Amino acid sequence: MQNHHAPVHAAIDIGSNTIHVVVARCLPDDLEILADEEELVRIGESVTATGAISPQKRDEAITTLRKYKALAEEHDANPILVVATEAIRQASNSEAFLADVQRETGLEVHLISGDVEAVLTFYGATYEFYKETKDADEPDLVGVMDLGGGSTELVIAKHRKISWRTSFSIGSGWLHDRYLSSDPPALADLAVARSFLQTYFRGIHIKRFPPTLIVTGGTANALLHLAHRAFELDTQQPLLGYDDLIRCEGLLSAEASEEIAKRYQLAAKRAKILAAGVLIIRTVMSSYQLDQIRISPHGIREGALLAYTRFGEQWLQRVEQSRDVTTPTSNEVQVDAGTDVMVQSEPFEQAGRRMLSEKARKVVEWRSDVLKHEDIEAVHKMRVASRRLRAVLDAYEPACDPRRFKKVYRSVKELADILGKARDTDVMIMNLRSQLEETPSEEQPGIQWLIDHLSDYRQQHQKKLDAFLQKFDSNSFVQQVESCLPQGGFRNGKS
Amino acid sequence: MAKARAIKNLDATAPVGDNARVIAKTRLEELYEWDAYVDDPYRVRELHNLRIAAKRLRYTLEIFAEALSEGSAPIIETLTQIQDELGELHDSDVMIALLRLCLGSLDSGSGYEYALAHAPQRRGKGRFDVDPTLLAHLVAPNVAPSAEQRQGLERLLHGLQERREAQYGKFRQHWYQLKAGDFRHEVLNLIETKEVDSAESKREKTEAAKAGG
Repeated sequence: MQNHHAPVHAAIDIGSNTIHVVVARCLPDDLEILADEEELVRIGESVTATGAISPQKRDEAITTLRKYKALAEEHDANPILVVATEAIRQASNSEAFLADVQRETGLEVHLISGDVEAVLTFYGATYEFYKETKDADEPDLVGVMDLGGGSTELVIAKHRKISWRTSFSIGSGWLHDRYLSSDPPALADLAVARSFLQTYFRGIHIKRFPPTLIVTGGTANALLHLAHRAFELDTQQPLLGYDDLIRCEGLLSAEASEEIAKRYQLAAKRAKILAAGVLIIRTVMSSYQLDQIRISPHGIREGALLAYTRFGEQWLQRVEQSRDVTTPTSNEVQVDAGTDVMVQSEPFEQAGRRMLSEKARKVVEWRSDVLKHEDIEAVHKMRVASRRLRAVLDAYEPACDPRRFKKVYRSVKELADILGKARDTDVMIMNLRSQLEETPSEEQPGIQWLIDHLSDYRQQHQKKLDAFLQKFDSNSFVQQVESCLPQGGFRNGKS
Repeated sequence: MAKARAIKNLDATAPVGDNARVIAKTRLEELYEWDAYVDDPYRVRELHNLRIAAKRLRYTLEIFAEALSEGSAPIIETLTQIQDELGELHDSDVMIALLRLCLGSLDSGSGYEYALAHAPQRRGKGRFDVDPTLLAHLVAPNVAPSAEQRQGLERLLHGLQERREAQYGKFRQHWYQLKAGDFRHEVLNLIETKEVDSAESKREKTEAAKAGG
């Protein structure tokens, strides 16, 4: 862009992982980036752990925002637009946080909705593509995938207008934490994660997927950087082919993340989750028959700058009015993204490994909720999850290593029994309570006596349950379950 | 109930659907092994086992739903209904057993209490398991109900027995309706049908057609 009279604006995005600033000279369809910085504050970490933004994260965020405000002022940027997304939306103390930021930095933060986030990300990720593409070559449909740490947003636009968007609760950090914890990732873990993703995306039927997919987000950009350096690709081309991603996966599964980070100048934290990012992108590409994707370094911040330049002070209202986003149940798309899906052709042994891993993880997901004592339904849900795991174990018993199977089955049964006692007592108390209201007065003292003593017993049992779950090692449990059905270890029947 | 039966002759490399059919068929057979006890309202253990077998079949159909032919949803719904009906019956049975043991111990002193508390641990025809720790908690002398409370418990027991009768009647009627509609055959049909036009095979066919020009 060669327009030195264009106004300079700044945009800051407070996200789950990072706080990111961009200062740019702005035209309605183009930006000249003057500064671009990010800080890994990870506000989402404290929100996930406690539901709130911790004082430490608040202070770190305010320090970063002060620094970015100074950076914007160095470039005479005006205004400084600040938007906050998912992590802040979710935080129980978001109002107090925003007030603190305003008081201590003078910055007004706009807490934006998921729809507005999608529009701004779309503006930011596509503006270079549309600028470079001649009108005649411009595809009707363009897809934008924002691959985040905890979730992935997928947007489809028709003639530059968003026609559909959805969000998957699968991100590179999430997939890494759940499936790829060893470093470098073990081949067996990669196979399970791949199988999970294939199944997940097979459940998402999109009749006409855009031939052009632009992928944005820190992980996607780090992958492009890795591919450029490792395979000496043309650095002027922001493109990744399916084969490039296969090569990236090979590299990432052969070397520890620390080595990768050092060798290719990547942040160590980012390098750790790259293998998960490759798997997600590859699965999307194979699910929707894409040979190549385009990576964009731009996203929500650049989108905010473009929106402000196009619409002025009313930029947010205009974006809200202009969003024309259909829900995932539109005619074009059928989303059926449950994880309990498979296809007839998936080999039995592979499906078993995937299901055992998923079901075991579902069991342990409820552990902290049961220990919180806030909702008796958590006990019920953990028990149901343990039963579903048992159903898979029952189905796969002949295929399992007998010694490991026996040990795991005993553990699952022990867990189910202790949860069962709690749940059965809860059900008795619930039934009696509902009966108490409708019962004649002479019967009530008896029912009340029973409720009191059952409640007393239930409290005593909760202590046993708590002690059991405190000792319960979730990671070791999942590993034990997963090791029941070793790869190629099918022992009964034809293998 | 005993552990689910282990399945033989599975094929690790075969598509999951082929093995899912073998497993689901076994679970269906296990369910109907308890059919002989449906007419006896007091075979509480066997009726409970029938419920567990229904649950196992349901979970198997759910786990392998995508690998079996379409149409499992109404069958799963029916199995859930059966499971719920037998679940309510089971809840009543547990409560009736507890109240009987509890009230009996008040009448008969510690010897009776000891015998009752240990009786449920012996497995036998129609006998029902009651959590011995819970029972011990309820029959402890220091928590004995007053005369007024006891009267309420007697009435509660009476009401539960009546309700149990109605619950059993409802379940049995439903079971016989299913038999009349040959539910077993319907499930078997679902299990044994190979889905020839699954989404996957359709996709494979399309790709093959493309490749062949």
